[in-house]
Amino acid sequence: MSIKAYNPDWAYFAAVQKLAAHWQKQALITPVQHEAIKAAHPLGFAQPHLFIRIGIFIFTLVGCFSCSGFVSLIFYDGLQDSSFAVAGLLCGLGSLFVLEMAIRGSQLYHSGADNALLYFTLGCFVFVIFYVIGESTPPPYSYHFSLGNPYVTLALLPMAGLLVAATVRYADRWVAALAYLTLLTLLTSLLLQVELGRVLLPFAVMLASAAAYFLLQRLAQRPDYLYYKPCLDLVKALALGTFYLGGNYLVVREGNALLSDNPFLPVSPQIPLAALFYLFTAGIPLLYIYVGLRRPHRLWLITGLLTLAFSLYTLRFYRSVLPPEIAATLGGAFLVGLTFWAFRYLRTPRYGLTAAAPDDDQQQLFNIESLIVAQTAHAPTPQAPSFEFGGGSSGGGGAEGSY
Amino acid sequence: MSPDEIIADLTAKGLLEPEQAQAIGEYERTRPFSLHYELRTLLYLGITMLSGGLGVLLYQHLDDIGHGVIIAGLAAIMTACFWYAFRHRRPFTWGLSTAPSVLPDYILLLGCLTFLTLEGYLQVQYGLFGSRYGLALILPAVLFFFLAYRFDHRGVLSMAITALASWVGVSIAPVSAFTYNDFSSVDLSGSAVLLGLLLLGAGLASEQLDRKKHFAFTYISLGGNLALLAATAALFDYNHSVLAPFAAGLLILAISTFLIWYARRTHSYLFLLMGVVYGYMVVTYAFFVLLDTSSSDAFGLAMLYFPLSTVGVVLLFINIKKILRLA
Repeated sequence: MSIKAYNPDWAYFAAVQKLAAHWQKQALITPVQHEAIKAAHPLGFAQPHLFIRIGIFIFTLVGCFSCSGFVSLIFYDGLQDSSFAVAGLLCGLGSLFVLEMAIRGSQLYHSGADNALLYFTLGCFVFVIFYVIGESTPPPYSYHFSLGNPYVTLALLPMAGLLVAATVRYADRWVAALAYLTLLTLLTSLLLQVELGRVLLPFAVMLASAAAYFLLQRLAQRPDYLYYKPCLDLVKALALGTFYLGGNYLVVREGNALLSDNPFLPVSPQIPLAALFYLFTAGIPLLYIYVGLRRPHRLWLITGLLTLAFSLYTLRFYRSVLPPEIAATLGGAFLVGLTFWAFRYLRTPRYGLTAAAPDDDQQQLFNIESLIVAQTAHAPTPQAPSFEFGGGSSGGGGAEGSY
Repeated sequence: MSPDEIIADLTAKGLLEPEQAQAIGEYERTRPFSLHYELRTLLYLGITMLSGGLGVLLYQHLDDIGHGVIIAGLAAIMTACFWYAFRHRRPFTWGLSTAPSVLPDYILLLGCLTFLTLEGYLQVQYGLFGSRYGLALILPAVLFFFLAYRFDHRGVLSMAITALASWVGVSIAPVSAFTYNDFSSVDLSGSAVLLGLLLLGAGLASEQLDRKKHFAFTYISLGGNLALLAATAALFDYNHSVLAPFAAGLLILAISTFLIWYARRTHSYLFLLMGVVYGYMVVTYAFFVLLDTSSSDAFGLAMLYFPLSTVGVVLLFINIKKILRLA
C-alpha cells in the first residue's frame, strides 16, 4: 500500500495541463501539440466544480453526523464512561474505511466527499483522544482547559501526530494547517510548563515559525512536491503569519497579561523589551511587502498586506491617533490615490510587475464581485427619527415602475 | 516543480520541439507578475473606506464645517467621479463591453456611493423629499439602473437592486438578508417573494432576449436568494404570513427546479447548489410534518431518513453531469 492515498501522478499531470492550456492561449504551442500533451497526461479523476464540491461536502458531513448518531444510540448503555469513547472510535474507524474505499472505488481527488470524510474521521479520533485523557485526569487538573495544564499537553501530542500522518497520506491543506497550528500550540503548552517559558514564548514562536518556513522550503525540493503543493503553500503563509504574530506588540502584551497570575486587570501591564516589539510590529509587514514585490512572491505580498492592516489596528488599539472617521477618510483617499497611481504606472510592465489582468476567465469573478458590492456598498445613513424607510405596506405591487 | 522542469520533461517526451521549449522557457522567465487583483481589492477597500468615512464625518461635524461647504464638497466629488467615468465611457452595447482599464469602473462606484451620501444628507438636513420617503428611495434605484446599463457595470447593477429592495422594505445583501430581514414581525414575505420573482424574471429575460446577458447572474442570485429566504420564512411561520405554508413549500420547490434548470443551461453551479439545498430542506420538512409520530415505526424511519437522503444527494451531485446530461 502506497503511503499516498491518491495517485501521485495526478498532481503533476494537472500542473502540466494547466501550463499547456496557458501556452496554447499565448500561441506558444499549436492546438495539435496541446491535444498531444493532454493525451499524454490524462487526468484519471473528475474534480467537480467548486460549488458542487461544496454541496457534496455539506451533505457528506450531514450524513456522517446522522450515521454517528445512529451508532451512538446502539452503543449507548446508561452513562458509562467508556461508551462515548467506543462509539467515537467506531465512527472514526467506520468513516476511515468508507474514505479509503471511496478513494479507491470512485475517482475522488479532493472532491468534497473525501474531504468531509477525512475531517469527520480526524474529528472522531481527536474527540476520543481528548475524552480518554480528560476522563483519566486526576483532580487538580481535571475539567480545567488551559495551556498550562500538563494533561492538555499530553493530549496535544497524539493529536499532532495524527494530523501530521493524515497530511502525509491525504495531502489536505486544511489538515496540514491544523497540524501546523497544533504543533505550535504544543510548543506553547510545553514552554508554559517551565518558569521562564512565558518570557521566552514570543521568541520561541518566531523561531519555530522561521524554522518551519525553511523546512518547508527544503521539502519543496522533493520530487513529490506537487502532490503537497497546496499544503506547503498554506502552511508557508501560516508560518509567515505566526512569525509576525509572535513579534506583534498587541499579541505579546495581551497574551502576556492573560497568562499572568492576575489576568483580569482593566489595562494590561507594559511588557519588557517593548521597543523591540514595536520594531517587529512595524518592520515585519514592510519586509514582507518588500520581499513580495522584489522576488516577486504573492504569498509574501498578501501576508504583508494583511499583517500591515493588523499592525495599524495594533497602533490604534493603544494610541488614538485620529478619530476613526477621519482615519477612514484619509486612509481611503490614500488607498484610492495609491492604486490609481499604481494602475497607471504599471500599465507597461516595470521591474517584472504589471497591473494587467492574468489571462484567466474573469467573468465569474465579476459575478462574485457584484455580490460583494451588494453586501458592502452602502452609504452611512443618519439615525434621525424623522427619516424612516417605507415599510412593507408600500408594497411590492408598484415595483414594475423601474422597468 | 518549476515550469522549467516541466518544459524539460515535455521536451524529453518529444511533445515539444527543442527551439519551442527554449521560447516557452524564455516566456515563462520574463512573464511579468500581475498585481491586478491585489490592486483591485485595495482600490475597492479604499473606496468603501473613503465613502464610509466621509459619511460619518459629515454627521459628526455638521456644526463645525457648515452645510454649504459639505454640500459643495460632496457634489464636487460626485461630479468629478461621474465626469471621469463619462469621459472614459465606452459605446453602448447590449452585449458585454470589455473595459480597457478598471479605474473608471471603480470611480463610477465611488460616484454612486457619494450620490447616496449626498441624497441622505439633503433629506435629513433640508427635507428635500419631504415625507415622500418612497421617492427618496426609488430615485437612486432608477439612477443606478440607468448607470449600470449605460456603463455596463455589474457592481452598480447590484447597488440598484439593493436600492430597489430597500424601497420595497427588505434587505437583499447576501449576508444581511439572513440577519436583518425580520420576515415574521411585519409581513414582508409577500412583497419580498414578489420582488424576488420579479428579479428572477428580469434575469431570465436578459438571458433570453440577449439584453445584457451577463447581468443575469446578479439578478438571479440576488432575486432567487430573496424569494427563497422569504418563502422559507413563510414555510416555518404559520400565523403571520400571507403565504400559506403549503403554498410556500410549493413555491420553494418551483424556484429550486427553476434554478437547477437554469444551472443546467448556463453551467452556473452556484444556482444548482442553491436549488438542491433549498429543495432538500423543503422535502425534509415535509417528511417530518407528514410523518405519523404515533406509529411505532416512525422513530426508525426518522433515524434512517438522514443517512439515506444525504447519500442520495451526494450521489446526485457526483453524477450530476450524467443526470442533467451536461457536456
